[in-house]
Amino acid sequence: MAEEILREVNGLISGITNRHVDEWKASGKPVVGYFCHYVPREVIMAAGALPLRLRGAGSEDSSSGDAYLSSRLCTFARHVMSLAIDGHYDFLDGEVSSNSCDHVRRSADVFRKKTGIAFHGFLSIPRNPRESLYGYYLEELRKLMAGLEEHFGVKVGPDELREAVRQINANRDRLRTINEMRAEDKPKITGAEALSIHIASQVMPPAAFQDLADRLIEALKARPGLDTSKGRLVMVGAELDEPEYIEAIESQGALVVGDLLCFGGRSVLAPLDENAADPLDVIGRSYFFSSSCARMIGDFPKRWDELNELYAKVRGDGVIFERIIFCDPWGADLHNIMHRIEKENTFPLLSLTREYNIVPTGQVKTRVQAFLEKLEIAKAQKVAAGGAK
Amino acid sequence: MNSQDILNSYEWRELIEMMPVVQEFFSGDEDSHGLNALLGGLDVYIRKMLAQVDAGKPFVWYNLGFNSELIWALDDVMPITVEALGALHSALCNSRITKDFIDEAQAVGIPADSCSADKLSIGAIRRGLYPMPACTVGINTPCDAQVLTTQVMAELGEAPFFAIDVPYYHEDETIHHVAGQLKELIPFLEENTGRKMDIDKLRESCDLSNQMSENLWEWLDWRKQVPLTQTSKLVGFTLFMQILFTGCQEGVDAAKAFAREARERTERGEKFFEEKVRCVWYQDAVWTDLQMYDWFERELGLTVPVDVFGYFANQGVIDLTNMDTMLYGLARKLVDCHPMARQFRGDVDFYIGDAMRMLEDFQADCFIFAGHIGCKHAWGGVGLFKEACRRADIPLLVFEFDMFDDRVTSYDDVYFEVERFVNEIVVPKKQRKVA
Repeated sequence: MAEEILREVNGLISGITNRHVDEWKASGKPVVGYFCHYVPREVIMAAGALPLRLRGAGSEDSSSGDAYLSSRLCTFARHVMSLAIDGHYDFLDGEVSSNSCDHVRRSADVFRKKTGIAFHGFLSIPRNPRESLYGYYLEELRKLMAGLEEHFGVKVGPDELREAVRQINANRDRLRTINEMRAEDKPKITGAEALSIHIASQVMPPAAFQDLADRLIEALKARPGLDTSKGRLVMVGAELDEPEYIEAIESQGALVVGDLLCFGGRSVLAPLDENAADPLDVIGRSYFFSSSCARMIGDFPKRWDELNELYAKVRGDGVIFERIIFCDPWGADLHNIMHRIEKENTFPLLSLTREYNIVPTGQVKTRVQAFLEKLEIAKAQKVAAGGAK
Repeated sequence: MNSQDILNSYEWRELIEMMPVVQEFFSGDEDSHGLNALLGGLDVYIRKMLAQVDAGKPFVWYNLGFNSELIWALDDVMPITVEALGALHSALCNSRITKDFIDEAQAVGIPADSCSADKLSIGAIRRGLYPMPACTVGINTPCDAQVLTTQVMAELGEAPFFAIDVPYYHEDETIHHVAGQLKELIPFLEENTGRKMDIDKLRESCDLSNQMSENLWEWLDWRKQVPLTQTSKLVGFTLFMQILFTGCQEGVDAAKAFAREARERTERGEKFFEEKVRCVWYQDAVWTDLQMYDWFERELGLTVPVDVFGYFANQGVIDLTNMDTMLYGLARKLVDCHPMARQFRGDVDFYIGDAMRMLEDFQADCFIFAGHIGCKHAWGGVGLFKEACRRADIPLLVFEFDMFDDRVTSYDDVYFEVERFVNEIVVPKKQRKVA
């Protein structure tokens, strides 16, 4: 039963659109793509549009993207832009980009100049989440909202925002439940499956997602727990919307029981106040302060604490850090993570640099296998040391 | 740490010992006022640093997108840009040491695909070569790669960190936003250095900064003359002056000397080489081998009147009337004048527009896009830049290299690319035009 629903989930995320998006479009409602986690879905939804997370799923090659972005940008951006330039994203009624990183920033230029998409929104997101900079972010959200209102001919008031908050809250409630089931001693769901359902939550209408997630949760309850004796892993890093990557890691016997990935755990913010007098402020604060991406400078201590809290909560045995080649912000975090581990000896770490849209074969599997062996030896040594006492 | 610790480190010692040798070499040309003044200023800067360490007075670290006027305005506080040591070695002393810093950074997790300007600063920080700071200031300019330096500086500086956010947009609101943060920075600096900000001292620092700016603008104006009478390799030092000396007398002296040199050489009608082609070197200078520019001039007749490190846009001086006007002026300088920060943070139209402006102002024939491999924003804009050049019928050379690491692209390969471009594309095109 769960397998059947998970197959359905995988079908929904295997490309950049799916039947729910098609139905939404067919009903005459707009779809707006967005690049980054710091673009609040609630604002797009409140304008009557479906927020659709931009992805490179189904891209066969990145040549059109390479022609504009060169081969020195991250392959995630290059694949997304290849699809956009080649017209695969033409069904979008708008897109919202940001200065999240140079890769997304330059993709925004290409979006504006090389696609026929009618609406282009942009957020200049401050690089440090402190109170004195929050006002700028909030103002950016106001401008985005005004742009959406003008373009789509709608009026977005507090009620529309509150309703959007309720919808996205309901999505996240389900994801939290799934993440709890994933962290059990005998998890009900693999890391790859969990990532799939997280991705689905960002590429389909909330109501349809909630129905899907409810069915999955029910089915998972009846599923036998999975063995984690080979290792309970936590993943941290940048964009990863390819469950097959985690599948390759888990094929070596361990399970990814928690993550702080952009498409995964980091997208699940704490519930927002659904009855706030100023819902835009609630949305803004939640996105700006709650979840930290490596682009936020001077905020590494918070990310380090979050990682350690998650590691303790899910009873991790090791951490896998992943980064797409050419990503600077996460490169800095890798250094800082390694530095803290050196000082505090907190957890075993495996760092993987990857390319988007390349299914990991032997190399990644070999490295994961070696890492798991290291974890096993460390465990055995710990037991032996305990026995000696 | 005391000055002896610094002198005991071979990385500083070699630089300090090399300074008189380099100074003597360049002083052989009595007319080379600019470089001689710059080297003199560096000498003073290093001596100040040694004295500061021995006196136990505070340091403030910052990354290369920031300017130091506010820090100079605090009594007895010395600013240190964390790129300084590695960059100076590459440009003036021993580029092997720069590469050691790069390797050191890569060995501790900094990706090989990142910018070497960040890696060289991180390597030097990791080796403990800078006096520890009372606090650190990080800014998100000139480009995204600076996130590496700022994050690592915040982590390894082991001192309170203040982030300055420069928004994406080219508008007055951006300047006000940054000015507001500079206002916020003042109590942060005061609290962490234990020194008070003196408005008169700030005015003095801003006045020196203005004098430096005016001289740089004059210098750049002289470099617009055809033919170029002052060597190509000097122009990138604008950035060095900005990040090391802005707001102090050494900066004024160096900028004044560069302007004087250019003026005198132009007035004398000096001609070292036959200028056949003028290019805007859009992107990064070849810091690993500045002599390469001499070769361009001598062998190809190619001059570089301006590059992206050297272009210091004229947006007017800082208004010294009161604290608010000074902060606004400093913010405008940071976001709209500072080399690279101006072009690298916003949309590609501005980036391309500035290139075209430089081409016209400096009467250049072509662009050379020296694609520093770590410069993601530039590579991300290269497709649209190529299209703009094609539309305007401007020859463009694009090649990959690393500005601080010649192991990425060899000298020979850079020579080969530039030579072929000049001789086979630009010169014939100019001849056709004349015919």
